Amino acid sequence: MILYILIALMFFIGLYGMIAKKNIIKIIIGMNIVGYASNLLFVLLGYKWDGIAPILTEDMSFAYFLEKAVDPLPQALVLTSIVIDLAFVAFLAALAIRLFEKYGTFDIDKIRRLKG
Amino acid sequence: MNHLITLTMAIYLGGAFLISLLWRENETVAGAAAISFVALSAITSVLLGIEVFTNGSILYFAGGWERPLGIALMLDPLSALFLIMTNVIALLVTIYSAVYMKKYTWTPYFYVLFLIMLAGMNGILISMDIFNIYVFLEVASVASFMLVAFGLRAEELEAAIKYTVMSFIATTMILFAIALIYGFTGTLNIARFMDASAGLTPVHLWFLAGLLLAGFALKAALVPFHSWLPDAHSMAPAPVSAVLSGMFVKVAGLYVIIRVTANIFTNLPQIRILLLLFGALSMVFGGLMAYGQKNIKRLYAYSTISQIGYCAVGLGIGGYLGSLGVLMHFVAHAFSKALLFLNIGAVEYVRGTVESDDLKGLNDTMPVTTLFGSTGMLGIAGVPPMGNFWSKLIIIIAAVKAGYTGIAVLCIVVAVITLGYFLKLQRTVYCNLTESPVKKEAPKTLLVPMGILAFMVFVSGVLLVPGIREHTLDKAVAVMENFSYVDITIGDNR
Repeated sequence: MILYILIALMFFIGLYGMIAKKNIIKIIIGMNIVGYASNLLFVLLGYKWDGIAPILTEDMSFAYFLEKAVDPLPQALVLTSIVIDLAFVAFLAALAIRLFEKYGTFDIDKIRRLKG
Repeated sequence: MNHLITLTMAIYLGGAFLISLLWRENETVAGAAAISFVALSAITSVLLGIEVFTNGSILYFAGGWERPLGIALMLDPLSALFLIMTNVIALLVTIYSAVYMKKYTWTPYFYVLFLIMLAGMNGILISMDIFNIYVFLEVASVASFMLVAFGLRAEELEAAIKYTVMSFIATTMILFAIALIYGFTGTLNIARFMDASAGLTPVHLWFLAGLLLAGFALKAALVPFHSWLPDAHSMAPAPVSAVLSGMFVKVAGLYVIIRVTANIFTNLPQIRILLLLFGALSMVFGGLMAYGQKNIKRLYAYSTISQIGYCAVGLGIGGYLGSLGVLMHFVAHAFSKALLFLNIGAVEYVRGTVESDDLKGLNDTMPVTTLFGSTGMLGIAGVPPMGNFWSKLIIIIAAVKAGYTGIAVLCIVVAVITLGYFLKLQRTVYCNLTESPVKKEAPKTLLVPMGILAFMVFVSGVLLVPGIREHTLDKAVAVMENFSYVDITIGDNR
């Protein structure tokens, strides 16, 4: 249970970074933290204490395997989700550099030509 | 035939790969290649659509792994309708962009990103697995962020960063919901979740539905999750705006919301009230904000928020008439909003501006463009022969029948507001006579796709004619009404 609370805490730290910070780089770091929190939650759902890798070998009984092996599906899903987060962060970092070239600032409050 | 189901998406991915590998230096070849790939995919999707509408849903297991382990891909009448619309509009827009995109640099990369976005949209439509939907949603979204920023001017970059950060919040909410769905029920298949969700308490269901609905409402730009849309859709290149506004918000937002409310959370009919609320807010807010806009693309973007509101209201009302209204409004609005964005793109191509203050007397200088633009405007405003009129009428009748008289009145008021801002645009931009009109029409390659779309706007109402309706819209409504695809997906191994 304590792990879930820590993940929630991590999520809210990231969310704070996204919402309260004005610097684009800090917003991107906040997004990273939020992404890690959701990935960790996903992995934790399939985790078992003292678990083994989900590989069924010949000297292993099926019941033992079912009881001990961790659920591999969340891990596979998390890999996909990490790649998506990577695409987001890489694109945003490139965007931040371009924005700095155009506006001369990382302050999200000063990047404000569109309104209405 | 069943194997064709993956082909629509695979053609786009393969096309993007080939263009970026072979033809990235030559924009003419890249354009021709992109048009032929999209045409191929459009033909495939029409074939698939005919198959689905005549013989029923297609179920396909990726890699031949049978149920319950395999990843199910599925095309039922609802997704087939969206698939055909997406690919047909994409084909017209690609033909249009072959000329329009000449004023940008590095156009081969435009086609690459465009095809990846279309691949993602097609992927959403054929997935029956909520994590697959999420992955394809992100494929489409990340490509669309880059397309919004494609011009690399300061405003475009600003719009892109707003869009990206907002979308990331939606992504996180959706991913959390998916993680919790897997944790609670141990499945990600939509149909299997339907079965398993019977064991969940209302608190769990509300939490999951709330997260999913908030995430996808952000993609669909329902008020109060709309703030990115006017920036992104007004700053993107015109062909991209046409696909984003015409199809993307509907595939990534509306279609998945339909699945979530009508198919996934059938145990929780109360979430329709939320949609009714969001929809009514979007209708009114989008309409009022559109009224004061000087930038015409921005006006169209707000108009999109308003019209998506109609779809959400129809979905919120539910029942046969509500569902029929949603689908009809989706079809009619997709054609007319794509037409309008292409149209303003043609004006921008010739005159170099989209500010309504700088444009005058288009009726005299660009008569054909004006004709198509007026068709699109009258279409969205809901003037009788067009499809939008019938869809709005159906939604209003559904609201009255279901006892939501206030919503019905609101629908009528917003329809009048819509007509109001388009008439204002007609007066200032189209009919304001200049002293010496110099005729300068847009190139034919821009006019032909617009002409086809204008024709579609006129005839889209034909889907409601008895005899055609039973074979098209009614079958899609049946998917929303009762849950027939559960039986197909889970089958006898239930």
